[in-house]
Amino acid sequence: MYDKIQEKMSIYDKLHILSDAAKYDVACTSSGVDRKGDGRGMGNCSSAGICHSFSADGRCVSLLKILFTNECIYDCKYCINRSSNDVLRTSFTPEEVCTLTMEFYRRNYIEGLFLSSGVLKSPDYTMELIYATLYQLRHVYHFQGYIHVKTIPGADAEIIKRVGFLADRMSVNLELPTAEGLKLLAPHKNRRNILAPMRLVQNKANENKQEIALYKNTPQFVPAGQSTQMIIGATPETDFQILNVAESLYKKFELKRVFYSAFVPVNKECSLLPKRTEEGPPLLREHRLYQADWLLRFYHFEAQELLDEKNPNFNIFLDPKCNWALKHLEYFPVEVNRADYRMLLRVPGIGCKSASRIVKARRFGNLRFEDLKKMGVVLKRALYFLTCSGKMLYPVKVEEDYITRNLLRTKEKLPDSMTYQQLSLFDDMGFGEKQARQIVSQS
Amino acid sequence: MTDVYLCCDTITGLYSAIYDAWREHREGEAKIAVQGNMEPELFCEYQEVKESQKKARAVEQLIRVNLGEEAYKELYYALLSKDAGKGNAVFWTMQEARKLKDSRKIMEHLDHPAVAKVFELSRNVANEAHCFIEFIRFRELKNGILFSEIAPKNQILTCIGEHFADRFPLENFMIFDKTHQVFLVHKEKSPWYLLWGEVPSEEAIHCVSDKELEYEKLWKNFFHTIAIEERKNPACQRNHLPIRYRADMPEFGE
Repeated sequence: MYDKIQEKMSIYDKLHILSDAAKYDVACTSSGVDRKGDGRGMGNCSSAGICHSFSADGRCVSLLKILFTNECIYDCKYCINRSSNDVLRTSFTPEEVCTLTMEFYRRNYIEGLFLSSGVLKSPDYTMELIYATLYQLRHVYHFQGYIHVKTIPGADAEIIKRVGFLADRMSVNLELPTAEGLKLLAPHKNRRNILAPMRLVQNKANENKQEIALYKNTPQFVPAGQSTQMIIGATPETDFQILNVAESLYKKFELKRVFYSAFVPVNKECSLLPKRTEEGPPLLREHRLYQADWLLRFYHFEAQELLDEKNPNFNIFLDPKCNWALKHLEYFPVEVNRADYRMLLRVPGIGCKSASRIVKARRFGNLRFEDLKKMGVVLKRALYFLTCSGKMLYPVKVEEDYITRNLLRTKEKLPDSMTYQQLSLFDDMGFGEKQARQIVSQS
Repeated sequence: MTDVYLCCDTITGLYSAIYDAWREHREGEAKIAVQGNMEPELFCEYQEVKESQKKARAVEQLIRVNLGEEAYKELYYALLSKDAGKGNAVFWTMQEARKLKDSRKIMEHLDHPAVAKVFELSRNVANEAHCFIEFIRFRELKNGILFSEIAPKNQILTCIGEHFADRFPLENFMIFDKTHQVFLVHKEKSPWYLLWGEVPSEEAIHCVSDKELEYEKLWKNFFHTIAIEERKNPACQRNHLPIRYRADMPEFGE
């Protein structure tokens, strides 16, 4: 039947089905590798990544994000392609994927290919198909753009390694933050099967780095590193648990990115999943997790500084950095002209770039608040935590309630049409609307 | 009386003006203004600059050697800006750099107003250039040439030429800057160059190849299906991809 469907369906319909099925995958980044074109084919890569469009949900479109096939032998409760779902099934041929990638790429629509797949017949069989596609793209079409490929859990180590030499980034989805959640919602997958290929890719990549140090022309293995993603809000984990999982993934598996995906109920009839048809996906929670993730990776924070057993969830109203600063007012205010780089990083309103600009510019003389503004410091937030030559910008009290009240008045810039009125969003964080109101009236 | 050096809005013009200003007033006061983008001031003496490649190369060399490659890039980007004060900002930054013990650190000296201005302009140009690296769309014409037209505020073509030439070494492509009426031209396996004083033939640039419409349709199809309905968010989309870029992007056409 599979072959019959494939013959009948136009490339237009296939693309529709297989991109629709891939859209819940979060990562669409093309970052992590710098590569010049070799002049004989097409493509190059830029390590900061390049977005080429933004879809109606505000997410970046960087890669041609498709499934190779939406056939699947697994039956994961949260997934639209679960084997028990009655959806139209189809598969690309390697040739079709290559043509689409090349033609989109030369019109500057995309930065490369993100190839994921349902499990057709067996993990090995699927991985072979993916390998055939990437091989053709790299060696027949001489494509030097970005390729991100999903590792199919359970596939043989040898085929995973071969794919790794053709791809820039590989990822295995962690799916759910804890092993219990996975057992409940994805009965055919287990934690060990997911972590094994992650470890394999990590070890191989480290080995490869040493080889490259010795022999310059060694082919590169997954040069842009690994990433993973987990679904937020389908199972009852706290933010503290999730952040700890992310931290250990960064430390133990040397992942480049962990992505968080607010749970969208696509299989509405399932009794194991939370019903949230009216509330919509927990977007603010996802946003807070990304903010905290940034603090872990670039601001030298640790998970246990941001949350703990007693406060296991992020503050709805304040971003994690402001929240941390308010609980540690003993460090503030910080003197801009003297504080070290790491301390500057901890000041709300100062980012990595502005902190390094401050450190360089102050060698030429004392900085004033108007200079900070030009360097990109967000003063409306930073002013409560900074002094310039001993003076604060306005006479403010360094006091938790006072600063909280004022910070809330400035309104944080949220990425969405999210507003503070959408209190129903917070229910899943253990905050009821009533509790949320209490917090407001407290301040 | 302050001397004001008047020049065309090109890199050669601006560098030539800086050359003259530097020769006569490297310690004193002088201003640089761009023809067609200036407000006449009282108590100033205006003089038109004689532009030449030789002067331009001398200034370029002066900056590269004394301020270093990084600062050179920032000054160069600032000069591509649409801002009328760009010549002054660059000239005054060069004067300030002379006073420093290590002139190469000039761009770290952000508490100086001219340096801050150069920093701001250069960042603005670099940001716009980056947006076009992202959002430029090519269409394949009947003759196989990839064609694109854009309407940037700053003169960003030279900032993106290298990127696309490296990316598409085997393609013939052209980018037309509608605002400044300049072409960027790339012939396969050759270096890119700018072409002034020509306009595209309306007929030729709309005569697309047979496959073109099909791929455009496939792209629109992909673009619309990839969005998640439950997360719809036009404000966020507009933040990342401002409306002004959308006119030349097929996924935002009908």
